[in-house]
Amino acid sequence: MEDTETFTLLPLHMDPASKAIASSNNSRALQEELKILNTLHRSLLSLESPVPPPPIPVNPKRSANITKLRESGNNEFRKGKHADAIKFYALGLQMALTRPPWEPSGLVRDEVAGLYANRAQAHMAMSSWVEGSIDAEASVEAKKVGNAKAWWRKGKCLMEMGRLDEARDWVGRGLEMEGNEADLVGLGKEIEKKTTKA
Amino acid sequence: MFSVNWWGLILPFAYLVVLVGSFITFSSMYRKRIAAKSANLAPWFPPHLQRNVYLSLLHLDPSEGKEKSPAVPESVLRAALLRRAVEDIRRIIEIRSAKQACSTLLQRGSIGDDLWQRFLRAEKEMEEELRDVVMEANALVPDWGQTIFQSANEIAAGTAFKTRLDEIQAQAKSEKEWWEKRRASIRSDFMKELDAPASSVGKTSDDDAVLVESASSTASIRKNKGKK
Repeated sequence: MEDTETFTLLPLHMDPASKAIASSNNSRALQEELKILNTLHRSLLSLESPVPPPPIPVNPKRSANITKLRESGNNEFRKGKHADAIKFYALGLQMALTRPPWEPSGLVRDEVAGLYANRAQAHMAMSSWVEGSIDAEASVEAKKVGNAKAWWRKGKCLMEMGRLDEARDWVGRGLEMEGNEADLVGLGKEIEKKTTKA
Repeated sequence: MFSVNWWGLILPFAYLVVLVGSFITFSSMYRKRIAAKSANLAPWFPPHLQRNVYLSLLHLDPSEGKEKSPAVPESVLRAALLRRAVEDIRRIIEIRSAKQACSTLLQRGSIGDDLWQRFLRAEKEMEEELRDVVMEANALVPDWGQTIFQSANEIAAGTAFKTRLDEIQAQAKSEKEWWEKRRASIRSDFMKELDAPASSVGKTSDDDAVLVESASSTASIRKNKGKK
């Protein structure tokens, strides 16, 4: 960083109508930064207060919507309509990920973890192992501990695709995180059995 | 009574004067050189782009006054300040995580003194930067200084998390291609085995049937208890 008393003057100008900031400088970092700035500015304008409110308390409306979408996804899943369930989960995910950025990220992680895990399950029920494994991995990324179901699902998908080595590594990592979760241990044994047979 | 022979003492006094004088000169020059060196050390962080944007926006209106461009609205300034705070959060996290490692390495002698100097300077600069942001925030909106870094913290954490998710979802395409190829090859192998004499076919297909069944039965168990 430069001296605290000085700064580099950037060639910026503002569009008077849209209030969007642009620059004649073509450096990519600057252009990207301005794009983010303009998006942030627009989302600030939609607020009632002049500045983003503190992260807590959260506006409960969106959380309720997300929960509702997840519930309807679960219902469809129970009826066996897996494709519809996936659609509901995807909507819920979209809603959770488009939360205003200043809302608590821990909350986003929690919601996203559940939705991805459920979508992985729906994909698995349709035998689309690739999507299932990716969604399960995303769920684990959102919530590493206390998410044994997602660890199990990705391991299962890898096993179904015949990637036994990866599956074994994955389940091993899962066991480190989750302790001796019975399902994971069972899956690990199943994978071992297949490896010795192959 | 004994008298002091002043002339005889000139030599020792001159010796002392030269000694002290050279010592003072040496120490002052040495210090100056060290200070110059640490002032010329490369900064720890790259230029603070968000800070430059914010300050440039602050100074925008007087320079373009003749074009009658309207003053930058405060909402833009607030957004720019928030961006600056987010970048600060990222840097603070970097400094905090580097501090422990840096001091350990310094004690073991694995890194030089100037790296440590650079680090300390970055730390001090960040403190001033934070104070500056809080002051600016309070100037824009009363009491915003108390919450701006909370919001910035959530923004920084959320953005990092979303990039990670995007990376994972971006694998989908290549994984899918791989799986299609793989499945096609499995299928063609299977068809070949079907064409082969019946004795070998019986064994493999039996195996596969068992496999599928066990997979679907575990999946249905999951269905029942896997819900939250």
